[in-house]
Amino acid sequence: MARWEFKLPDIGEGVTEGEIVGWLIKPGDAVKEDQPMIEVMTDKATVTITAPKSGTVVETRGKVGEIVPVHGVLVVFELGEGAGTGTSVGAGAGAGVGASASASAGGHANGSNGHARSDDGPAATAVGDIKESLPGMGGGAGASGGGGVGASAGGGGGAGLSAYFNEKPLATPATRKLARDMNVDLRQVPPSGPQGRVLKKDVEGFRPGAAPATGSTPAPAHPHAPGLASAAAPAPMPAHAPVSIPHGALEERVPFAGVRRKIAQKMAQSKHTAAHFTFVEECDVTALKALRARLKAPAEAAGVRLSFLPFIVKAVVAALKKHPMLNTTLDESTNELVFRKYFHIGIAAATEAGLMVPVVKDADRKSVLDVARDIDRLSNDARSGKVKLEDLTGSTFTITSLGAQGGLFATPIINFPEVAILGVHQMKQRPVVKDGQIVIGEVMLLSLSFDHRIVDGHVGAAFAYDVIGYLENPDRLWLEMA
Amino acid sequence: MTQMNMVQAINDALRHEMRRDDRVVVLGEDVGKVGGVFRVTQGLWDEFGDDRVVDTPLSEGGIVGTAIGMALYGLLPVPEIQFSDFIYPAYDQIVSELAKLRWRSGGEYPAKMVVRTPVGGGIRGGLYHSQSPESLFIHVAGLKVVCPSNPHDAKGLLLSSIRDPDPVLFFEPKRIYRAAKGEVPEGDYTVPLGKAAVLREGTDVTVLAWGAMLYEAVAAADEAKKQGIACEIVDLRTLWPVDIETIVASVKKTGRLVVVHEAPKTCGFGAELVALVNEKAFLHLEAPPARVCGFDTPFPYTLEMEYLPLAHRILPAIVSTARY
Repeated sequence: MARWEFKLPDIGEGVTEGEIVGWLIKPGDAVKEDQPMIEVMTDKATVTITAPKSGTVVETRGKVGEIVPVHGVLVVFELGEGAGTGTSVGAGAGAGVGASASASAGGHANGSNGHARSDDGPAATAVGDIKESLPGMGGGAGASGGGGVGASAGGGGGAGLSAYFNEKPLATPATRKLARDMNVDLRQVPPSGPQGRVLKKDVEGFRPGAAPATGSTPAPAHPHAPGLASAAAPAPMPAHAPVSIPHGALEERVPFAGVRRKIAQKMAQSKHTAAHFTFVEECDVTALKALRARLKAPAEAAGVRLSFLPFIVKAVVAALKKHPMLNTTLDESTNELVFRKYFHIGIAAATEAGLMVPVVKDADRKSVLDVARDIDRLSNDARSGKVKLEDLTGSTFTITSLGAQGGLFATPIINFPEVAILGVHQMKQRPVVKDGQIVIGEVMLLSLSFDHRIVDGHVGAAFAYDVIGYLENPDRLWLEMA
Repeated sequence: MTQMNMVQAINDALRHEMRRDDRVVVLGEDVGKVGGVFRVTQGLWDEFGDDRVVDTPLSEGGIVGTAIGMALYGLLPVPEIQFSDFIYPAYDQIVSELAKLRWRSGGEYPAKMVVRTPVGGGIRGGLYHSQSPESLFIHVAGLKVVCPSNPHDAKGLLLSSIRDPDPVLFFEPKRIYRAAKGEVPEGDYTVPLGKAAVLREGTDVTVLAWGAMLYEAVAAADEAKKQGIACEIVDLRTLWPVDIETIVASVKKTGRLVVVHEAPKTCGFGAELVALVNEKAFLHLEAPPARVCGFDTPFPYTLEMEYLPLAHRILPAIVSTARY
């Protein structure tokens, strides 16, 4: 007879909230254990959540399109038989989801995808996002309200606390004591010490109100835009004061949220952290086109639609093996370069919801056919919004296929914290000079961006020419076959 | 004042106290006619005879057990365990009986004694003549634990130990038995138990050491000084009860702590010192306290100088702590 509340579980990877995509149950339903109940779209993927227990559904909370915080109540169950209706749990039917009162702030209809969400995201948990930025690097959300821990302004109860942990400054006890004595909020002090540590001199030289340094240090501060961040803005936002746009006529406002905001954060983080340089070169794909034409039929017989992308993946993996620096990432917390001995290749894909990067895992150990199957499955999943979280994480290098509208060349943004990205442009027939004659060549342009902090120019160029070498002479890939 | 080494100073203390207090007796392996394997008790048998200087069988449990009986009877034994590596057969007697009798009997039968034993490495003694088991005794409530670093303190601390109401483990760093020389007052004087000595004042890093490693700490501090780092060196002298006031006062000044000891790092006394400093001076810390210790291995014979926390290992800890 007991009432039991089912709360949105922590689905992992730092996800702090999810958007209700669809209900598969309704009040009054008898639900069995493991029966699918609800589809929730997180920042990264759509997951179907099943019932952990059998029981009768008394109430479902949250409408399709609403944002639910992790640990917010989704379903109220009556466990056991005799689903007697007692006093209703959660009296206010229209009450906001979970602890946050934000839903009442009124969801805006999002013109592009029909999603509604409130101004302030519900409470975020801190788990996971810490790895995206060095802890202790920011003046933060809670701080901007002047409210200290747990007292953040805005709608998200408990958000101040999570913001605090998100941005817990690193400092020795003596520095903390000094800051406390001087009444300085450590979270507002741009750190200059090793591992992003706030030093005593940082505290002593800190002037409240002074804008934090913008990108002037290796570990720049990332103050949050208060409007966005007061509740749930786990990832760093650009290091400048939030730009306020006055309301005007003939304007429509839609929330900057979900996948779009996540993309914004990731792009800004990459641009503000990695020292991008881009390298462009052309590639003669005559042999590759011929090879693919020959293999298309046998591949189809195996049930695979063979594009050029699997060959490019294999060429990249072969070149990465020769240039392991391109497969590294930088652990800024320990000042260590992490050489990855595995090759997970991200494939950037445009979806309705926005850019996604599903990952072909262990591409070095897969055949061209296997890679093709993976890409097919992943891009279908991504476009239908069903891609799993684990398929969207863990890439060590990313390829972005720029397609028919890819332009002459581009300057791709690195999928941070990777150190390089390959942009592939459309193959075109162009005049080329061969043996003193102008002839028609099959040409594809490659745009590679590198993080110059880690990859020197000649290293990036050597990598690029190796990729080109494999693509121009794809038979050489035989020599790299695992 | 006379120039003495540690051996002579301890011998002088024993002789002085045996003359002053006829309850004091010395017993142990070869302490009599031979005068001790390190000659610490040389000449005592000649002066005080069989009844007060007793050569015992090779049985550490027997030595301490017998001494406990003598103490209960009213004597004031100063047994010697030839190497602290061989104290373990007596560990049960020390832990189960000696440490508890004063408490157990409400102070009526304190079994007062001072167990003297050489400690530490650096004399090419190998696995069984080099260990530093002090923390095994510090952990046992009811014992005091002393480790002098120089002849003056050795005599003064031994006299205090013999006169203290609690049983005392008196660790004598054998590496500096003869290497450490200094002026030692004649006659009676004491160095109080439970009081550390600030050997050198400094503003940047507090270095805690005792016994033979104190000299390594000093050498490292001299090097650090060339790099502009002023170390405050504290000689603990009495390990337990530890002089935490002196330590905390120093750490509050410097904000940084390096602890040096020969014993393996894990669960060594350094762990307790760091914990105490964290408890009592947390807000003053500018860097994580560092420990420079023996390794968590049996004491190696061939790699003795690699195992010991010598100056070349202490210096980087000082520098990295200062520059944290």
